[in-house]
Amino acid sequence: MPIQLQVNQLSWTINNTSILKNISFKVNKGEVIGIIGPNGAGKTSLLRCITNQQQNIRGAELNGSIYLNNKKIEHYSSKQLAQHFALVAQKAEAIFSLTVIDIVKMGLLPHKGLFALEDDHDKAQIKHALVKVGLDHAEKMTFNQLSGGEQQRVLIARALVQQAQILILDEPTNHLDVYYQHQILDLVKRLNVTVIMTVHDLNLASQYCQRILLLDQGKLIADGNPIDVLTESQLSSVFKLPCQVEQRATGQDPSSKKPRIFFSLPHDQSVKINAGAQDE
Amino acid sequence: MNKLLFILIALLLLTFTSAIAGLHFGPASITSGQVFQCLLNNCENPISQMVIWQVRVPRVLVALVAGMGLAIAGAILQNTTRNPLADPYLFGIVSGAGLGATVANLSLGEHLGIALPLAAFLGALFAIAIVLFIAKILQRMEQLLLAGVAVSFMLGSLTQFILYFGEPFATNRVIFWLMGSLSRVEMSNFYVIGCVLLVTIITIIAMHRHIDALLLGDESAASLGVNVDRLRLLMLGLCAALTATIVAYCGGIGFVGLMIPHIVRQIIGVTTLKLVIGSALIGGSFLIWVDIIARSALANAEIPIGIITSALGSIFFLFIMIRTRNTN
Repeated sequence: MPIQLQVNQLSWTINNTSILKNISFKVNKGEVIGIIGPNGAGKTSLLRCITNQQQNIRGAELNGSIYLNNKKIEHYSSKQLAQHFALVAQKAEAIFSLTVIDIVKMGLLPHKGLFALEDDHDKAQIKHALVKVGLDHAEKMTFNQLSGGEQQRVLIARALVQQAQILILDEPTNHLDVYYQHQILDLVKRLNVTVIMTVHDLNLASQYCQRILLLDQGKLIADGNPIDVLTESQLSSVFKLPCQVEQRATGQDPSSKKPRIFFSLPHDQSVKINAGAQDE
Repeated sequence: MNKLLFILIALLLLTFTSAIAGLHFGPASITSGQVFQCLLNNCENPISQMVIWQVRVPRVLVALVAGMGLAIAGAILQNTTRNPLADPYLFGIVSGAGLGATVANLSLGEHLGIALPLAAFLGALFAIAIVLFIAKILQRMEQLLLAGVAVSFMLGSLTQFILYFGEPFATNRVIFWLMGSLSRVEMSNFYVIGCVLLVTIITIIAMHRHIDALLLGDESAASLGVNVDRLRLLMLGLCAALTATIVAYCGGIGFVGLMIPHIVRQIIGVTTLKLVIGSALIGGSFLIWVDIIARSALANAEIPIGIITSALGSIFFLFIMIRTRNTN
């Protein structure tokens, strides 16, 4: 598979505080990659750096290099980058009564000239994206009235209209219940584009990602397939909790086994609740 | 799409009817037939001909472009700052214009001529420059409105301080000018405001997708290739120039930029192109009718239009708040 994105010795500091430390990895075309790690490990910061969205932060200094299709990322204009990367944020709040179609249409922006009108091809593309995420019936609905899962699907439809080769998702399942978590990740996996996403739920990462990057305190601790990365020793060391990992077949493909992770909090680390509070 | 086209045609008709009505009303009694004859340069009475072409046509046209401009400026500021309360007046533009007019009035006396609008325009730009400078220091665009309110009060108090020690006649002139009026407008004012309006509209048409992208947040817009800070600065600069030009000729006319986009969102939509077209047509018609009320409500006097727009605007604002509470 051709290399689409290459990160070489990436370090990022903000006001002399180290956020990312010497990170290197490659992304092949069509891979679904999950970035995992505890809070503050640098997952979102890494996404920010690889999409070149870190420039406006005061006191920030970036070292190392990032190549997109063998060309340094800083040699791309912001419009060109938007043609390559599509971002799906963990939660979007629409001001005013933006409709589903208003938001999906935003995906046309990187491909349209200043005075260009929307043509039949654009309309077909918008329709196709809405069908693909199963929201073709809802195009006139207000974004803020939709459920969290539907909102995520609207943002994915926008990313499809953006025609980006790499889909970046920042905690896409954070505000969703179990049903929508699986629905969104299953949809993402079937889109046939390269996906890089941060995921908090390790079992979801195990089930849906082909490759996992494990971050801790800004360092890349492990990079590989779920079986190699999601090991008891690595996870308990990074998340500071004892854990058990079992290899289990998933419902979709009984022949391929995926790690299932169970954490437990030792009794001596439980938050102490005083007697008065307990009585209440 | 058909519904949108229907609304658009209805609004165009509204604007056209408002303009005709604006030509009809006034102290001199001229019948509708005479108005049409005068418009075709076929008027029997030369005085009616003069009243129509030298008084009413400039007044209606200036009301139209001023209403359009203020409503568009409000719509764009609300969409670019993602704040439904953003209004060109909250950015200190009127206070700056007031300070400029005060200084010109007190230093040049009665022989002001073009100096008054020019000084008001420079004052408005001065206010915007301070607001932008503060926002640049803070590096937070969301605090732009707060900076605007602070600058507005600062320049307002400076104006009042100067007026307090100023000559009473000059003070009166400034106070009346700040209340807003179209009684002294000329055709040349229409051309100047019209040109700035045209540049603003062309820029908005070019950038409408960029402005729309901001409606889902800065990060989202940046991921679509939008340079968020540069876009906001451009739009703020344009809105400031447009409002400053209008304020320079027409004085203070508040609440149009706040009220009209709210109405347009309910009937047409929230995305920039729809909002701007709707705001232009409704805003233009609205100010023509406000001017008609200003000229016709009292027998032998005109009410400053700023008083009427502020009264209507504040009632509208309370109505919106009560309706929102009930909806919630």
